[in-house]
Amino acid sequence: RVSSDGKPPKFQPPPKPVIIDRKTQKEERRFLSPEFIPPRGRTDPLKYYIERKDMIQRRKVFNIPEFYVGHVLAVTTADPYASAKSNRFVGICIQRGGKGLGATFVLRNVIEDQGVEICYELYSPRIQAIEVLKLEKRLDDNLMYLRDALPEYSTFDVNMKPVSRMDHEEIPVNKLQVRMKPKPWSKRWERPKYNIKGIKFELPEHKMKAAQKWTQPWLEFDMLREYDTSKIEEKIRKELSEELEK
Amino acid sequence: MMPIWTKSGEKHAVTLLKVQDCHVLRYVSKEESGGKTAKLLVGGKNVSPFSKPESAHEIFKEAGVPLKQKVTTFNVTDDAIIKPGTPLYAAHFRPGQFVDVTAKTIGKGFQGVMKRWGFKGQPASHGQTKTHRRPGAISTNKAAKVYRGKKMPGKMGNIYRTSFGLKVWRINTKHDIIYVNGSVPGHTNCLVKVRDSKLPTYKDCNKNPPFPTFFADGDEELPEDLFDEEIFQFTDPSVTFS
Repeated sequence: RVSSDGKPPKFQPPPKPVIIDRKTQKEERRFLSPEFIPPRGRTDPLKYYIERKDMIQRRKVFNIPEFYVGHVLAVTTADPYASAKSNRFVGICIQRGGKGLGATFVLRNVIEDQGVEICYELYSPRIQAIEVLKLEKRLDDNLMYLRDALPEYSTFDVNMKPVSRMDHEEIPVNKLQVRMKPKPWSKRWERPKYNIKGIKFELPEHKMKAAQKWTQPWLEFDMLREYDTSKIEEKIRKELSEELEK
Repeated sequence: MMPIWTKSGEKHAVTLLKVQDCHVLRYVSKEESGGKTAKLLVGGKNVSPFSKPESAHEIFKEAGVPLKQKVTTFNVTDDAIIKPGTPLYAAHFRPGQFVDVTAKTIGKGFQGVMKRWGFKGQPASHGQTKTHRRPGAISTNKAAKVYRGKKMPGKMGNIYRTSFGLKVWRINTKHDIIYVNGSVPGHTNCLVKVRDSKLPTYKDCNKNPPFPTFFADGDEELPEDLFDEEIFQFTDPSVTFS
């Protein structure tokens, strides 16, 4: 190309490369404890707001760690009848239920060949410490089937040392398939309503097929059952982060 | 309803009652009402003026107060008379007081005798022909009539009932909420009448309540939350036994 004044064209430096650092841009994993999300109903939202204020108050004084179903926890409670006035129990969390201040979680362990399940309230003042010993999620939200599984899957050492993990790592999902005791079970876990992926069913084919008779394929399309919590969650997360920083 | 913990670690269930725009509407003197004490008409919960007929608007116009959904009477002694038009707040009650709560129970519609009165019914099998939830016999042979008030199927619920002697655990002055022990008749968000307890055991229980009521424009400055002495407050560390 020949420019108008006969000189060679001015050197245009190449555009600077834009470096997108994907590691630092990874979204921070934001965990909202399930008991903060209000259930669907006709209650005044003011009631949930006041309950949340109390829950935040408690969380400021006492640290409730982030945990899911499948984690192994050690809980120390105040016990007036124990010699040391406190009681420590280690177990795997099989279920988290309840909303608001009455939120509970059930810990299961097998002690001296006897299965023991204790249901603790998260916000009870008698709980003195909650430690997460092992972090791992399971394939299901509800591990009640461990009652009918072989006892080896529910035994955890009482003096287990906490497994260390880095803060920014994702919580690993344990894809363990649990083997069950022979039937009868407390619930028919092969039925599709429980939607369990963590059991290795050793039942004959015709029984598994017969269980599929109870599928309700219309459930996933039922619009009245949809409860979209994304916006509510955002608001609650904002509220929580503001209050906890104070 | 919500759980509440005491300092010794026990859990109690608590109902939250909100005091929503309560105003005193009229003072009826003892001679006028014909009862033993003077009466105060109190109205709760504001509502649009189109929901009530014009004839009902008079009381509210006299008191200078927006239309209320419900108007109740309280029997009051002569030294507790309040001027019509004063607003009533949750701070009228104090933690540690005992209270009676009246409300209309949840309506269950037309119900049979087993649900309504708790009859046992009949067995499911062993030859029963078409008789499993029926009342059975309704009177004797000698009576030759059915007595008045015989328990029979009918409309159940939607009547006024009172829970007596409920303890007040906590009061939130900012949002006007009373935390009352145990359960209360009625569905969620229904209108409820809260009164000082008339049970003889709690006759001398109120130690210095605000008398005749809590006035918001007075000099008293109350903290946002008033707790009973036994409540575990979440600002304290966890409970330990010694």
